[in-house]
Order: sequence, then structure tokens, then C-alpha cells
Amino acid sequence: MTLLLAVISVVLGTVLGLIPAFLRLSSNKFAKFIGTAYVEIIRGTPLLVQVLLIYSMIKLKVFIFLGIDLSSFIPGMLALLINSSAYVSEVIRGGILSVDKGQREAGLSLGLTQGTIMKKIIMPQAVKNIIPALGNEFVTMIKETSIFMYLGIAELMYSALIIRSDTYAIKETYIVVALLYFLLTYPTSKWMSSIERRLKVSEAR
Amino acid sequence: MKPDKFIEVINVTKEFNDGTKALDNCSLTFDNQKVTVIIGPSGSGKSTLLRMLNLLELPTSGDIMFEGNSILKDKVDLRVHRESTGMVFQNFNLFPHLTVLDNINLAQISVKQKTKKEATEISLNLLSQVGLLNKQNNYPSQLSGGEKQRIAIVRALALSPKVMLFDEPTSALDPEMIKEVLAVMKSLAKSGMTMIVVTHEMDFAKKFADHIVVMDKGKIIEEGHPDLIFNNPKHSRTIQFLDSVLNK
Ligand SMILES: Nc1ncnc2c1ncn2[C@@H]1O[C@H](COP(=O)(O)OP(=O)(O)OP(=O)(O)O)[C@@H](O)[C@H]1O
Ligand SMILES: [Mg+2]
Repeated sequence: MTLLLAVISVVLGTVLGLIPAFLRLSSNKFAKFIGTAYVEIIRGTPLLVQVLLIYSMIKLKVFIFLGIDLSSFIPGMLALLINSSAYVSEVIRGGILSVDKGQREAGLSLGLTQGTIMKKIIMPQAVKNIIPALGNEFVTMIKETSIFMYLGIAELMYSALIIRSDTYAIKETYIVVALLYFLLTYPTSKWMSSIERRLKVSEAR
Repeated sequence: MKPDKFIEVINVTKEFNDGTKALDNCSLTFDNQKVTVIIGPSGSGKSTLLRMLNLLELPTSGDIMFEGNSILKDKVDLRVHRESTGMVFQNFNLFPHLTVLDNINLAQISVKQKTKKEATEISLNLLSQVGLLNKQNNYPSQLSGGEKQRIAIVRALALSPKVMLFDEPTSALDPEMIKEVLAVMKSLAKSGMTMIVVTHEMDFAKKFADHIVVMDKGKIIEEGHPDLIFNNPKHSRTIQFLDSVLNK
């Protein structure tokens, strides 16, 4: 079950991850902002909060299929998918950026379109860097899924109780929790990437 | 006959985002079917000038004319311009995941809309001219530096460019390989190709250049026939630079 969740979320997450990756690589400022915001918000909030948020937004009737309760499987799946798409998009972006910029310039100097350069020159080389990193992401995903399976289910029962009692603004609570987390983690990740950038510059010399 | 003023660079300045002024109000003309060699110390703006001619860099101000028309106007198709300006890089920039033949075929098929058969015919013909027909199915990693650079030249030539730009094509090569690459460039020069070459190979410059341009700190400090520049340089920085490269 955990494995199944992880496999599906990495495969679909890869497909979904392509979108924010290309948004962030785009030269259009607005597209870049949307892609960056998506990735930063999801990476800046804990998976558990995301899962709970999705559960509180999507309420399905209990539906047992092949021994799996789909009413908790589907929202869990969705949350994992969204989560993994953000991480995978960073893997994809990193893979694309790792291709020597001379490759793109050579393509441009031959009169190739940006699209052809991406498809025929950059991507085939980026994939070689992306695949191993995706493997790492897969391992992380399995770990996180199991935590979520372990912790999440109990938590979910609890949240379901609350929802049924219908007294708390459950969604809002999770959003606030997510926001607080984000405020904590976002500056940290900004700081990390500025260090990374400085390291890169010193390497280039 | 095309007009003599083949490419005109008019008052071009290039300032990078970080404030570096790589080109400072440069104006010069490249003649048709002539070999121009650009020399100058490191950081003087040679690469930037060359890369501007196929718009890998855009000027901050000034204009560039190609056969009498500005290439900086909105309606100019960058790709069509780049197709007719072949470029050879110091680090070859061959596509490592493609065979030699596919490296040369790629743009012919996707830019020139040639069929694979037509493209291959052109590629093989050019490969045999540089003596590398037997490498057609190799990957770039299986080639020596000199072979890579000859393939890179062929890749650009396959699009029948009107001008070839070379940015230090032999700087990453051992002496033996420098000869092979220079030999290809020399025969290209003899065939009447318009060439603009950034190089430290002064022998090539003396024998094959029709015109020498000397750059320093983003400016063109001196230009003229090789005899003039090498035997009777006027600018003190030119004398200094020639001293440093010739007495190595
Ligand atoms: N993308 C860039 N961003 C900022 N500065 C740049 C960039 N590219 C080049 N420069 C700077 O512009 C100046 C001119 O560089 P350019 O590469 O044209 O010199 P060059 O004459 O080709 O030198 P070399 O002989 O070392 O190749 C240098 O000071 C360089 O640091
Ligand atoms: Mg240079």
C-alpha cells in the first residue's frame, strides 16, 4: 500500500512536476513567479499539514475497494502527488540547468528553435542527471508515505471526528498551520540557495 | 557580387547586467569574402563582439547591419540570421548524445527542412573533405579535440552559411591538433568564405588575414592590413600585446 502510493505519486508527480519546472525556467516573470511560489509553498509546509488540508477539503464517503478504503486513499494520493510534484520539479529544473550552456548556444547558433533545442538537445542530456536524483526522491517518498500512513490515519480519524462534530473551522486551522510553517522554512531555504549561489560562483573561478 | 560592406557594426556598446562594459562604442566593417582576425588581451571584448554578430548577445546600444539591413529590428527573424552565420566555439559544443552524423544532420533537417537522405549526403561529403568520413558513427566522446573541432566546423558549414565566426577555435587543443584545425580553416579561407576569427595563432593571422582588428578594454584600438599591424603597429597597447604573444 505504502509502496503503491509512493510509486504512483512519483510517476504522476514527475509528469506534474514538469509544469512548475518549466514555469520557473521561463523568461516570463509572471510564469516564473507562479512556478516559484508553487514550489516554495509546498516545500515550505510539512506533508502532514498538506495531507490534512486536502482531507478537510475533499470529503468522500467510505468506499472499500479491494480492501482499500478509497475515501482515504484518494485524497492521500492527491496530497502526495502535489507534494512530490514540487520536489520532482526541482529535480527536473536542476537536471536541465546542469546541461552546459554551450549546448544551448550551439543550438541557437545553428538556427534551431527554443523548442527543438529543449527537446532534441537539452532534455536528452538532462534526463541522465534527472533519473538518479529521481531515485532519491522515490526513496524519500516511500519514507514519507509510511510516516503519513502511520501517523496520518490516526490523525485522520481524529479530524474526521472533528469534522463530523462540525464545530471547528478545520480548513482554516490547517491553512494557518501551513502558513506558520512556511514563514519558518521559506527564509531558511532562501538563505540556503544564496549560499549555494555563492559556492557556484567560487567554483566557476 | 554582394556589397563590399558585408557586416557593419555601428557604435555598439554592450554593458552586462553586473555593470561590466564589455564593448565601448565599437564601429567596424567586415568585408565580403575576406578573413578578419580579431586579437587583443583577455577580457578585451573579443568574444562579446563575435557573439553579437549572431545575436547570442544583444547590444545595449548601437546597430548591426547585415548586407545593408539592420538585424536588430523587431521584424528580423533571429533564426534565419543565425542560420546564415556559422559559429565555431572554443569548447566545440558538439552534442554529446548524438553521433557525428546526427550532429551534422540535426539542423539541416530541422532548420533547412532537408530530408534525412539529402542531409546525410551533404554531411558525408563535408566529412570526407576534412578527412573524417570514418568517424560518422562515432560519438563526440570517442574523438580527439582536433577531430571534434573539425566536426564542429562541418556542422556549421552544412547549413551553407554566408559567414563563419570562430571564437578561439584552437585554444583548447594540443599543437598537433591545432595544425589539423588550421588546415581546414585555411582551405575554407581559400575557398572565399567570409571569416571572422578570434585567435592567438599569429602565424595564421599573418598569412591568412586580410584585415586585423586589435581590441583592448572594450575598444577597437587599431585595425589594418596584417603587414601594417605586425610590422608597424601604432598603438602602444598593440605593441605590448604583440610582444607578449610573439615572445612566448
Ligand atoms: N555574461 C557576462 N556577464 C558579465 N560580464 C561578462 C559576461 N561575459 C563577458 N563578460 C565580461 O566582459 C568582458 C569582455 O569579455 P569577453 O569574453 O568578450 O573577452 P575576450 O576578449 O573574449 O577574452 P578572452 O580572451 O579571455 O576570451 C570581460 O570583462 C568579461 O568578464
Ligand atoms: Mg573570449
